[in-house]
Amino acid sequence: MANNDELQRCIDILRHGGLIVAPSDTVYGLICDATNENAVKKLISVKNRPWGKPISVFTDGFNMIDTLVKTSDKEAILRTLLPGPFTIILPSKNKVCGLLESERNTLGIRLPIHKWINDLVHAYSKPLTATSANISGKSPHYEAQGFIDELSAEKKKLIDLVIDFGKLPRNKPSTIVDLSGETLQLLRQGDILPSAKHSYTSTSASETKKLGLYIAEKYSSLGIDKPVVFIVEGEMGAGKTVLAQGIGRYLGVANIISPTYVVYYEYKTHHESIRTFLHADLYNIENVDEFSHLGLEEYLKKGTVICIEWGNKAGPLFDSIKKTSHIVSIEILYKTETVRSITIKEIKE
Amino acid sequence: MNILAIDTSCDETAAAVTVGRKILSNVIYSQVLLHKKWGGVVPSLAKRAHEERIDDVIDQAIKSAHVAWKDIDAIAVTQGPGLAIALGVGIDKATELSHQYKKPLIGINHLEGHLYSAFAQNRNGNPKIEMKFPYLGMIISGGHTEFVLWKNHLEYELLGATLDDAAGEALDKAGKLLGLGYPAGAVIERLAEQAHNVDEYHFPRPMLRSGDLNFSFAGLKTSFYYFLKTISEEEKNKRLLYLASAFQEAVFDTICKKTEKAMEQTGVVNLVIGGGVTANKYLRKKMRKLTKKHKGTVHFPSIKILTGDNAAMIGIAAWKKAEKGYFLDSIDREPRMQISSLANSK
Repeated sequence: MANNDELQRCIDILRHGGLIVAPSDTVYGLICDATNENAVKKLISVKNRPWGKPISVFTDGFNMIDTLVKTSDKEAILRTLLPGPFTIILPSKNKVCGLLESERNTLGIRLPIHKWINDLVHAYSKPLTATSANISGKSPHYEAQGFIDELSAEKKKLIDLVIDFGKLPRNKPSTIVDLSGETLQLLRQGDILPSAKHSYTSTSASETKKLGLYIAEKYSSLGIDKPVVFIVEGEMGAGKTVLAQGIGRYLGVANIISPTYVVYYEYKTHHESIRTFLHADLYNIENVDEFSHLGLEEYLKKGTVICIEWGNKAGPLFDSIKKTSHIVSIEILYKTETVRSITIKEIKE
Repeated sequence: MNILAIDTSCDETAAAVTVGRKILSNVIYSQVLLHKKWGGVVPSLAKRAHEERIDDVIDQAIKSAHVAWKDIDAIAVTQGPGLAIALGVGIDKATELSHQYKKPLIGINHLEGHLYSAFAQNRNGNPKIEMKFPYLGMIISGGHTEFVLWKNHLEYELLGATLDDAAGEALDKAGKLLGLGYPAGAVIERLAEQAHNVDEYHFPRPMLRSGDLNFSFAGLKTSFYYFLKTISEEEKNKRLLYLASAFQEAVFDTICKKTEKAMEQTGVVNLVIGGGVTANKYLRKKMRKLTKKHKGTVHFPSIKILTGDNAAMIGIAAWKKAEKGYFLDSIDREPRMQISSLANSK
């Protein structure tokens, strides 16, 4: 994504305390060096942001996160959620500009699934501000130009560079999860709502689909060396195919329909490392003997993502899948007509 | 031109010989009995069964057409959509025969075949229905629910499709929930008829307000499932006829209302409908009533064997491609192939 010249130019600007409008996993963001007080002040004035309101930071991994905040016993849940569209609030170690922290001395941490941002933070090796590119109180932007148009001529001069990725997919701003207290608290709801470790709440089919997209982003990189198998369980009508459509969307497959009638559909993807998406539905399978006839094992190859609905029937298949693949188990529980509780666990040996 | 056609898109092993719209032979070896036991199509079973039967089915198609290999001018085969490994069996066989007998190869979209089914003729050229484009085409089956603007031979535009479950699949799933076995469409039709097709439950009609021509039957299935949970097993058995009838009505009513919308949007009032669910007489009746209201016409496959998967429809769909010389050197299977005019490019 980011070529070296562009990356170097960004780094030079950041080093000199400049501001960059850049794409992210959610909306367009306004980026500067989070350890440079002058740069942060400039950012606050461009955004018209009231002083004292905290601003979260982009990091490049858990090592950097450890230097910035006290993770203590929250390490496990932190690792379940990140990377992802979340801002995690934890007690600050005061390594960034104090204007970014809250009055309670906490700091919001982002570790997005977004190659461009990840590459930049990694190359710069310091945290960068992760605030949406908009005037405080106004809605965030999915197109860079929208933000630029909003600025006065004087403020436009303060922007050193605009990285324009065109129109971003309409993902909501990140879900803000406060882990600084005893229990997990949601401060702002984005597209994905964690309710406990490994658990999420979906309040609509569209959120279930976005959750599918999120887990596909999160686990597909594992597919480079081994197949990734999502085993989805849930009653009829829980939203299993909807979740599979989200996984497909990440892989660039748009036309996913129920495979019940034919047991499985094979799709060619539009993804750089995952070539094949197999969407299976074992609903019609009743006997254990049938699994030897299924032929699914033939698909257990690297570069393949497989989503198996009614995975609880995959019992006999499970052992051969386990030997060859990364398995992520997903359980969808019906709460009310629209609300589902979704548990996602990576199964490790 | 005599065309040998092969279809192995799902659970039928089928071969046929056609000339133009005329069917000289149409052989189908159904795996439904084999699959009935499993409650659905099982892919590798389908593959193995196709492999075991395909040579016999092709031989029989040639024999009962009273032609010899030298009389065959081209070989047509279903490229998709369908079950990947099942499609592969037909494509491999067609390719092999094409090399062996030096016959050109034609790739056909299974859905094109379902549309052409309505114009199939017997050896003597009956029925003589003139094809008057454009048509509003529909495929309603266990695996498909689609609207196609059929502008002319080889010219299609997909107008809408199911976003999740197919209509026939919804009926099969409801049937399974009612304990009716697989496939359940015909049983539901019979039960509903005994209940005089009344709708006493008013299950939701999904997507009617969506503004587009897509379908979604997953929500209907879900609401049916949760409704059945609220009543006792005894109640369910007592009310079986009425539950089947109300569910079928919800599916067909949705299809009819969407069809009406499609007629309004396209201005095309002449329908061509293919696919397994068109075997349902009550649906045919509803569709006839609908087209009458709009002063249009509706064509269905003339005989029952043509409503389901078969190879004659593939041969007929290949007719114009053969005339125009749209031949392929090799064919890739396309399990989720979409219908479009592009599918007809060389």
